[in-house]
Amino acid sequence: MNTKKIVVTGLGVIAPNGIGKDQFWSSLKRGESGIKPIERFDTGQFKCKKAGEIHGFDPARYLGQKGLRSLERSSRLLCSAAKLALDDSALNIDSNNTDDIGVCTGTTLSSLWNVAEFDKGAIQDGPRFTDPALFPGTVMNAASSQVSIRFNIQGFNTTISTGFSSSIDALKYAMDFIRLRRIKAVLVGGVESLSLVNYSGFYRLGYFAGLRGEEISCPFDRRRNGIILGEGASVIVIEDEDHALQRGANIYARVNGIGNCFDAFKMGKYHPEAKGLKESIREAMRNSELNASEIDYISASANSVWDQDRLETKAIKNVFGKYAYNIPVSSIKSMIGETFSAGGLFQIAASIGSMYKGFIPPTLNYQDRDDDCDLDYVANESRITRINNVLINNHGPGGSNASFILSKWN
Amino acid sequence: MSNNIEEEITKMVSEILEVPVEQLNPDVDFFKDLDVDSLKAIEIVAAFEKMYRIIVPEEDIPKIHNLGQLVEYTKNKTS
Repeated sequence: MNTKKIVVTGLGVIAPNGIGKDQFWSSLKRGESGIKPIERFDTGQFKCKKAGEIHGFDPARYLGQKGLRSLERSSRLLCSAAKLALDDSALNIDSNNTDDIGVCTGTTLSSLWNVAEFDKGAIQDGPRFTDPALFPGTVMNAASSQVSIRFNIQGFNTTISTGFSSSIDALKYAMDFIRLRRIKAVLVGGVESLSLVNYSGFYRLGYFAGLRGEEISCPFDRRRNGIILGEGASVIVIEDEDHALQRGANIYARVNGIGNCFDAFKMGKYHPEAKGLKESIREAMRNSELNASEIDYISASANSVWDQDRLETKAIKNVFGKYAYNIPVSSIKSMIGETFSAGGLFQIAASIGSMYKGFIPPTLNYQDRDDDCDLDYVANESRITRINNVLINNHGPGGSNASFILSKWN
Repeated sequence: MSNNIEEEITKMVSEILEVPVEQLNPDVDFFKDLDVDSLKAIEIVAAFEKMYRIIVPEEDIPKIHNLGQLVEYTKNKTS
């Protein structure tokens, strides 16, 4: 099953700091943040005011005007990113190959707005007068399904919802489909959208930066005190290498080792030894057959939460030993915020840029050193260097952990 | 009043079907001419019910095929 090589041939990104891969990569390279005061809803009642919100996004530009009315924001974001990825990969879908192509999406909260709006209608107007147009969008797999409907993709359609690790878990699921020879190409996506509902939820749970300190996303820094929420969609096209070569596709990178491990500890608490993340990294390394010295960069899951950043550092040091100090580690969440289940796909999109354009994105807002976080975090300015292998981590307090290695193709 | 109903319903249907008001004459068939699927039909019914606080019985829905019939139905129900 593991002999089939899988490659990335397309990429579509709608991120808070850039729409389209070129703008996204260029912002990352310049260290330009998409975290700003929220405009979509009034934050007057909250102590916190910021998010990685996408501005200037016009879905009609990618999808046309017709049919947009029935797409809620998450579906608009994901379908637009899918369109960009499909165009980028030059993969044409027709009746001959539709069964050979699948869609797999990582998301957790993308349908929350629809659920809230539907319930609001029931409360305000009575249950007999709810809006049926909102109901299909109340399910978690709505956005992923809209991609299949819009682009007529009939191979399979799955939504993976494992919280912080959803993106890499979705990628693993898609890879298995290709390796089992059941499919030739998959659009792997991640999406989350910002709304008053999820903002209020995270706020009330006390997860936000700004509640106990400065409102800033500063991974690994001693001032870190919580997340700043982000939104967006990122989609990659992965395919069987032979299939990509046969159709003369442009190949960005090779999908290499992948691993995941569940280590639930206590409700909302990280495993104190980061057991799951360590095991995920080890599994990804084993599958890739790479040595520690061959990892050129680690794209971290660190999101400016005290324990998350400290434990990720601990896991990296545990797996790589003293060599960990030689590997640059950075977190793009300092520039886009915590996009939750879409985070891993943004890290993959950024890492493709790192490989393609030869740079490591910085960890922005790094200023005060924490003794528990003592690796090379590529502080504040990107670094120009050649990248052959990137380790990407997804880690969170829910127990789901995943790691993935992206390698230069040939 | 009757003009208002006609205008209101035309505007509502135009928004749901994403079809300009000018293309919606009273005889255009929702299903044959405008390619309305079951979800869109339910959406029109629901918006109509909410607008006029009318419950449309299931058996009445298949009788409405165009804007003229919908306007007529509304007038009867609201009179």
